[in-house]
Amino acid sequence: MNATQKKEAMRENERSAVKQYVTFMIGNEYYGVEVLKVQEIIGMTQIVYVPNSADFMKGVINLRGTVVPVVDMRKRFRMPEREYDMFTVIIIVEVKNRMIGMIVDSVSDVVEMEESEIQETPHFAVKIETDYIRGMGQVDDKLVIILDIDKILSASDLEKMNQDVEEAK
Amino acid sequence: MAENTIRDVFLEEAKEILRHLETDLIQLEENPNDDVVHRIFRYVHTIKGSAGISGFEDVYGFAHQLENMLDAVRNKQIPITKPLVDLLLESADWIAEAIYESPDFDRQKLLLEKLESYQISCAEGESKLADERRNTVPSAEIRYFRIHLSFRSNIFENGIDPLAIIEDLVSLGSVENMRVHSEKLPPFMEMDPEKCYLEWTILLKAHCPPKKIEEVFLFVKDDNVISIEDVTDDFAVFEGGKIELKERKIGEILVRRGILTEAELDEVLAIQHKTNKKIGDIIIEKGFADEKSVRQALGDQRKIQTRIQATTVRVETKKLDTLLNLLGEIVISQSSIARIADELEEEHGYRLKNALYGMDRITREFQEQIMAIRMIPIGPTFEQFRRFVRDVAVEVGKEIKLEIRGGETELDKTVIEQINDPLKHMIRNAIDHGIESPLERERCGKNRVGTIVLNAYHQEGNVFIEIIDDGRGIDKEAVRRKAIERGIIKGDEELTDRQLQEIIFLPGFSTATSVGELSGRGVGMDVVRTNIEALRGTVEIYSIPGKGTTFRIKLPLTLAIIEGMIVRVGKNVYIIPLLSIVESLQPKKETLKTVEGKGEVILVRDEYVPLVRLYEHFNIAADCVNPWESLVVVVESGKTKIGIMVDDLVGQQQIVIKSLDHFITKSRALSGAAIMGDGTVALIIDVHGLVGEIVSVGD
Repeated sequence: MNATQKKEAMRENERSAVKQYVTFMIGNEYYGVEVLKVQEIIGMTQIVYVPNSADFMKGVINLRGTVVPVVDMRKRFRMPEREYDMFTVIIIVEVKNRMIGMIVDSVSDVVEMEESEIQETPHFAVKIETDYIRGMGQVDDKLVIILDIDKILSASDLEKMNQDVEEAK
Repeated sequence: MAENTIRDVFLEEAKEILRHLETDLIQLEENPNDDVVHRIFRYVHTIKGSAGISGFEDVYGFAHQLENMLDAVRNKQIPITKPLVDLLLESADWIAEAIYESPDFDRQKLLLEKLESYQISCAEGESKLADERRNTVPSAEIRYFRIHLSFRSNIFENGIDPLAIIEDLVSLGSVENMRVHSEKLPPFMEMDPEKCYLEWTILLKAHCPPKKIEEVFLFVKDDNVISIEDVTDDFAVFEGGKIELKERKIGEILVRRGILTEAELDEVLAIQHKTNKKIGDIIIEKGFADEKSVRQALGDQRKIQTRIQATTVRVETKKLDTLLNLLGEIVISQSSIARIADELEEEHGYRLKNALYGMDRITREFQEQIMAIRMIPIGPTFEQFRRFVRDVAVEVGKEIKLEIRGGETELDKTVIEQINDPLKHMIRNAIDHGIESPLERERCGKNRVGTIVLNAYHQEGNVFIEIIDDGRGIDKEAVRRKAIERGIIKGDEELTDRQLQEIIFLPGFSTATSVGELSGRGVGMDVVRTNIEALRGTVEIYSIPGKGTTFRIKLPLTLAIIEGMIVRVGKNVYIIPLLSIVESLQPKKETLKTVEGKGEVILVRDEYVPLVRLYEHFNIAADCVNPWESLVVVVESGKTKIGIMVDDLVGQQQIVIKSLDHFITKSRALSGAAIMGDGTVALIIDVHGLVGEIVSVGD
């Protein structure tokens, strides 16, 4: 990106609240998280299982010297599990100053969306809890579900689910 | 920005000073002496100065008043009494509040009034006495004077002997240096024995005011050239023995000492400029001074330099943490190199390994050094409880003496920061429940003043902290009754000491009938234990009825790096802290017993030890499911031993602990993770937690 382009992009941003989203697929749906929350995207790596953890907590990985927990989003959304393949990636996001990895089926694109383009979540029955959805947006002819990453992977939430798991046992 | 920095430095500095101040004030009450008074004065003085610079005007003004009062105490115009100490402690509190919270002006006014009225009431009674004292007692300060004596040549005619004057002078203090100027001495043949040709420069170190020195020359000062110069600042030896020396060149030192004159120095410097010789050599060559004094001056110069170099550096703990983390990375890389060395063919592998051993030694040393930086003595933490004990004792109407031992014992800074609250709880506990009232103590034939001892020492790679009281001890019967009441044990069950401990540390357990400010609500002890366990420590209680109670806290030296045994279960690798391991063995089939409802035990050295099948506990796949085919690592936590069944022992290694976010697992059996040489993550087994899980399941 050269200087004029950069300036243009900045001006663009000023005109309307355009935000960038990393989109990825789980099952047949597209999901998006704000690009600023995403630290990096890595391929599947060796995951060390942590005993007595919630089932969606796949374990921990070594991210260049830091131990980072990873969550299987399919399990988090109570979707049927699927074997990891060459498209499976871990999206490392930062939630409240800690890093967490999300395992998703595949990563697709970075898209730009205006704030006005994102619609409130309609209150109909969906497979996932609507609390975690910030809204839905249309990119080309795809529907993208924008996730509220702070809610979906917040420590207190995960802990609560952990407790539920404990109690269920 | 700059202002903020000054403020930050002040905030940090003041914290330390206030802590010292508090300790010394308590000491002033217990054991008043001049040193303590001087120290207190200095603390207040420093606070005053720094507060002025960093813009705490209110603190400055207040400290100034306080300083005036302390000056009077120092000059023995005001006697040291308990009300005085109370007043001073209150004032210190106010300063702390004004600095870290916001100044309360009503209280300040009240305090100032109190200070003033106290001062006046003392002044009235003692003013006469003090006046006398002030006149007779010379200031105890050590001062340096440079005295130049140049007498009239016909001084002997008046019957005055310069030697007698010099001897008088010498009797006032000690001569640090003396130089006789003999330039005016004529050739022998021309010399008149009844004339004085010599001049003297004397450097005198004395404990008296300049006036006293002047008195020596009372009869000669009018018609002779006598100069007295107070050069104390150059030597800067202050009352407390604190020495601040500026870097000095040797020539200047010689001039200051009166060995060399300014003119001579200029000459010497001119020569040095041309010849590039050493200044000392030139001085000797020229005969301005003898070799001895030059050498002495050189020595002094060296001393000055070392003084300047031997200063400390304040470093943010975060930087040390970063350093330690980096070192951790080195340790990791090192073990990956070691892995490669294993794969190499014999000769190169051997050489590489040898080199690695050398490197390993250095990293270990390196690590120890960094650890040593992080280590701070526990003394100050202990000291701050003096005030606490005093206040609480007054509050509950008991007489208690706090004794501190092993204050020099060093601990990791993080540990010290986190041990504060648990200690406070336990001391409060000892005051409330341990120590009896003075009357009760006298009835039992004990000293009416109770003693609480804070003790710290190193043993076997651990730090022990003890809180010992000589109170009534734990009432076992009361604990038992409470335990039965709460349904923890059955009515006819007897309590073992271990159970007793367990019960005391249960949440919400208290035998107290009344609820105090802090203890008695039954929140204390379980919090204490949780906090200490979070530091990978343990706490034990020993109690003898009527004699007292001892709480013994065992803590690891450091939190960041441990020596670990790497074990394998199926495909999973775990780390067991080496310090917890008692032994590892391959059990025989016949040593294995199953206890109905309690699980399996193995017989190890005539002792039945519960067996934990790690693969079962962690719900993972293992290679061996029969204990006699696998290995058992016997670990100990507190006084409980368990055997951990694993597939294999992989090796022993230093590991850097990385914390595991608490939401990842509910299991208490895991305390963290570590990154191994090959980049994989291994989980660290928390032996204490694992034992806890096993025992609670077993019960």
